[in-house]
Amino acid sequence: MIEAVHIGKSFYLSPENKGRFASVRTLFSREQREVKAVDDISFSIGEGEFVGYIGPNGAGKSTTIKMLSGILHPSRGEIRIGGYSPQKDRIQVASRIGVVFGQRTQLWWDLPVKDSFEILQAMYKIDSRTYRRSMELYQELLDMREFLDTPVRKLSLGQRMRADLAAALLHDPPVLFLDEPTIGLDVVAKTRIRAFLKEVNETQKKTILLTTHDMDDIEQLCKRIIVINHGKKMMDTTLDDMRRQIGLPSLIQVEYRQPPSLGAELAGIERLELSGNVLSVHFDKGKISSPRILAEVAGWGEPLDIQMKEPGIEEIIRLMYR
Amino acid sequence: MLYRKLIAASLRSQMQYKMNFITSAATTGMIMVLDFVILSAILHRFNDVAGWNIYEVGMLYGISSASVSLYRLFAPEVNDFEKYVVHGEFDQMLIRPVSPLLLLLTRNLDLSRIGGIVQGVAVLVLSLAGLAREGADLLWLIVFSPIAIFSGGVIYFSMALSSAALSFWTHQMRDILTFTIYAPANASNYPISLYPGWLKWLFFTALPIAYMNYLPMLALLGKGGGWYYPLLAPVAAATALFLALTFWKIGIRHYHSTGS
Repeated sequence: MIEAVHIGKSFYLSPENKGRFASVRTLFSREQREVKAVDDISFSIGEGEFVGYIGPNGAGKSTTIKMLSGILHPSRGEIRIGGYSPQKDRIQVASRIGVVFGQRTQLWWDLPVKDSFEILQAMYKIDSRTYRRSMELYQELLDMREFLDTPVRKLSLGQRMRADLAAALLHDPPVLFLDEPTIGLDVVAKTRIRAFLKEVNETQKKTILLTTHDMDDIEQLCKRIIVINHGKKMMDTTLDDMRRQIGLPSLIQVEYRQPPSLGAELAGIERLELSGNVLSVHFDKGKISSPRILAEVAGWGEPLDIQMKEPGIEEIIRLMYR
Repeated sequence: MLYRKLIAASLRSQMQYKMNFITSAATTGMIMVLDFVILSAILHRFNDVAGWNIYEVGMLYGISSASVSLYRLFAPEVNDFEKYVVHGEFDQMLIRPVSPLLLLLTRNLDLSRIGGIVQGVAVLVLSLAGLAREGADLLWLIVFSPIAIFSGGVIYFSMALSSAALSFWTHQMRDILTFTIYAPANASNYPISLYPGWLKWLFFTALPIAYMNYLPMLALLGKGGGWYYPLLAPVAAATALFLALTFWKIGIRHYHSTGS
């Protein structure tokens, strides 16, 4: 369904010129530095797969998604989406993919949500029967009835994301590209979005490629993980295999009234870091439960505050290179 | 039709900010009136510009002014394309099964420019009346005026689209527009013969404004030149549009978007 063969994207940066006619001088500037945002990445994703595409900020995740969806032209390599090139056959590809950017809505900002759907119906030439059926389905699954008449700019972030997802699926594309679809959402909204994506993947056999910083997204949704860093592919494996390699890294931070006296480390605790009164416990959720850790660390001093932290993608990449 | 649906959506969005819309329309109208007053003052001061009398210059001015307003009415977002490149907003126009240019054009109509078209046409009418008093034959002038305005609009649009395409590389286009729209728009208010050779050459090639009013008027006002000069206006417009669209398509391949 999605084929990427040795794709690469280079950007050429020239030092920014300031002042009069800066743009004209930039155009003729000779000093340029090549930055390889994506460097020789290949993968093949089959129909119905749910793939997590992860990596630290600036690793090249968005650049890859933008090349796959036809926004950017790769500097090197070939892409095929259902047999079509997103660059040469952009229009064919556009009608076969749905794209959601978590940071930016695709909807008409000042108009009621419903209007955006009607415009998209005309744009994608969706016949009225399919349109009605899709609307029914997604209103139900995403619980959109309450805000269909609200202008997009007045929606909460969670509502907006639900509307964006429905908009991306309206023309029933077989492929979905989701760039950080849960960014900034609260736990309830995240749970709802995940349940929806799981449903869409399982019942409609949509092929989904998702980028995220949230390890829970990956654990609950993706069966396959592709990790990239500095524009290069570092790992392409199943979730189960990644679990075996790095476990389920988690982090609890405890603030004590006085510096704690650390007890013996339990099995499953990767590493303890103490700075002042704050103790960071890195552990493997697959081997030891959070309540078990809490019970233990409570005995090491008088806790003032306890926080469960999301482990960063950086932590995962560190563990992979252990 | 998709164009109408998208335009309607954009206008409904604009109407959400009614006050803003009304004040901007009012200011644009006022600026246009002021512009006109200044021009007529200048024309009354000098009776003759490079052998062209006040009504003949009025023909040039009316066509140029209406043309540039026509372009700004339909393509305000092309004029303002820089922001789409700088903020990566162009992304969402490339993921639709529709021409990105259609999506860009339907993002906005600058209705306040209708004032500029009215003003340009008013100058044309006054000039025609003046020419009639001098005993000129009006038929071809009247037939040609709408063709000239439309061709001029397309020529301005092509120059702007090329500038917008250039911003895929430069990420800035305000400076470029000074050269490609604002300066030519001023220059074409007067006979091109006023300008030094290299500038004249530019106005016949890269910035082809000479074809929309100057050349046709040479023929129609009996100032010399071939009978076919007026036909050059639509031909030049079609050529400019073709080249601009080609350049625009090449530019899109170099679109960088922004980091997320």
